[in-house]
Amino acid sequence: MQLGDVRTGKWPENILGFARALRRSGVPVDSSRIGLSVTSARLVGLAHKEDLSYALESVLISRQEDLEVFRQLFDVYFKDPQVANKLLAQMLPSAQGQDTSKPKKARVSDALKPQAPVWPVDPAKTDKELEFDAAMTASDLARLKLADFNQLGASEFALVQRLARDIRLPIPKVPSRRKVNRPRGAHLNWSKALRTAAQMDGEFIVLPKLGRQLQTLPIFMLVDISGSMERYARLLLAFLHKATAHAPRRDVMAFGTGLSDLNQAFKLKDPDMMLQGCNLAIKDFAGGTKLGASLQELKTHHAHRLIAKRSLVLLVSDGLDTGDSEQLEASLKWLKGKSRKICWLNPLLRFEGYEPLAKGASVLDRYSDAKMAIHNLTHLEDLAKAIKDLVQR
Amino acid sequence: MISVDALIEALRVEGYEADRRLATAVFLALQLQRPLLLEGDPGVGKTELAKALSLALGRVLVRLQCYDGLELREALYEWNYTAQMLHMRAASAHDQLSQVEQEVYQEKYLIERPLLKALRAPEPGAVLLIDEVDRADEPFEAFLLEYLGEFQVSIPELGTIKACVTPVTILTSNRTRELNDAVKRRCLYHWMDYPERERELAILRRQVPHASEDLTQQVATFVDRLRSAPFVSAFTRAPGIAESVEWARALVSLDTLIIDPEVVSDTAGILFKQREDLAALEPLMKELLAPVDEASLS
Repeated sequence: MQLGDVRTGKWPENILGFARALRRSGVPVDSSRIGLSVTSARLVGLAHKEDLSYALESVLISRQEDLEVFRQLFDVYFKDPQVANKLLAQMLPSAQGQDTSKPKKARVSDALKPQAPVWPVDPAKTDKELEFDAAMTASDLARLKLADFNQLGASEFALVQRLARDIRLPIPKVPSRRKVNRPRGAHLNWSKALRTAAQMDGEFIVLPKLGRQLQTLPIFMLVDISGSMERYARLLLAFLHKATAHAPRRDVMAFGTGLSDLNQAFKLKDPDMMLQGCNLAIKDFAGGTKLGASLQELKTHHAHRLIAKRSLVLLVSDGLDTGDSEQLEASLKWLKGKSRKICWLNPLLRFEGYEPLAKGASVLDRYSDAKMAIHNLTHLEDLAKAIKDLVQR
Repeated sequence: MISVDALIEALRVEGYEADRRLATAVFLALQLQRPLLLEGDPGVGKTELAKALSLALGRVLVRLQCYDGLELREALYEWNYTAQMLHMRAASAHDQLSQVEQEVYQEKYLIERPLLKALRAPEPGAVLLIDEVDRADEPFEAFLLEYLGEFQVSIPELGTIKACVTPVTILTSNRTRELNDAVKRRCLYHWMDYPERERELAILRRQVPHASEDLTQQVATFVDRLRSAPFVSAFTRAPGIAESVEWARALVSLDTLIIDPEVVSDTAGILFKQREDLAALEPLMKELLAPVDEASLS
């Protein structure tokens, strides 16, 4: 693969090949952009490699986070000998030590390799689970509804998980600043009134009104996946995945000692595939909890995911934080300022007389707008109602 | 514009120092007649680029400031209802009732808003700046799709209006939220970073010409350090170019020759707009003001 001679007409193919490699590395590139990249290469000319790089970058990239992948791949693809060396060295351990340039992103090396399916699924396993589900009858439902997830056996646990997935969480709607036709609205629809009046020889016989349009709140979920939350987290993820599937905007992040982005996994429709995706995304499962540090990371790298004070934050955690409580307090203060409401879903609320005495829990208690128990199904059903009440409060 | 170099030069004449990466993106936006989406932290020169570009191209600058709940009648067009109503009253007195509807929807009753103004700008066209598009809501983005794709709008009472000259369109975003992929697909994209020290120096020399060379150097070094590790993590937001230019101007008007801790803390309000950041600056002052060699060694 090398940049062909212009006269041989090989270079459009090279650019095409590059764009496809970029797509394989996970950067969203569609066909129209590939077409555009060939045109733009022709416009800036092939005299300087730098110009070509800048031109392709502005056409093929649309997110800041893809810039680094683009640059590395460009260097490798259009043969920067140094980087190619390094890539070679990664494959042949004996050749190491020659090159001191930056280590390559795994996505870049992967894009240059033959492809395997992203989420491998075992067909036998899926079939088995479906069979099992079909065997369940309605009478099981009542008995299991008040059960505590922590004390369920493996097969029961699977059933409850499936039940939880089927509860829908109606995300509350609030009036937005945008106006639509409403017969009993507060404002006059001047444009429509004039149009009707013009048809009625200038007489205002009907007065159409405008009212505020209802808008579904964007939802932002932060799920604790530390050791103490191990069992709940899996279930909650399955539940939230299903229950918020119809939300126009949702963001999901998991936190333990750091943040993991679960949005890619949540885009997969099948809950089992989603959980598998989560397994790949989460690197610190069942470890410690550093909510303060995780929120700090959210603030520095992902603040744009909280939408203009509209986001409804669902924080799933038991509040047993092992990090710095001062940092936690500062970060929560920031989060509160950035979101509409913070709703703390706490599995420990099941114990009567539970008081948020742990350091992390007491801070969380102060900054959350509502606390809800989430350790069994009845509470999950209440959750939907409670969230609605909270937002309209 | 014939080439990237010509564009860089033309922008420089108007007082805008563009690096080659940015200039290539702008050049392609002009050639391909595509909108250009600029993303980056506040104060890195996104809006300034549109201003400089309009001067360099000799086109009028039409600016649309976005906000939550922005509606078509504020962005595109609105009918002058009062005038229309008066017209209807007058017309009905003269017994031409059948024509009333036709008469009230004439161009003279149409109030142009920025997006329509940009479409109807006569030769050589307009530079349309859609500023802070991330502040507008999703329905507005959906409307922009049609506008940016075809550069035409339809007004039910008048028909479709197509651009005389396709406006050079710049969208800016501070990334307070992620934009819709469909909008991004229609645009060329450029991420604007803080400038490296040399470019910042060039900008400072141009924007604050009466500052001494020594002071300009000091300002550039100080701001550069604020934006780089390990100091940058101490602040919620690093100062942009706009702030450093403003700061240099302030230092000149205070007749400052050498930047010392006292001067910095007196004028820190120009660089940082958050109480927490101002507090964080104080303990770092000594390291930030260390001579160049010492800092590079550590």
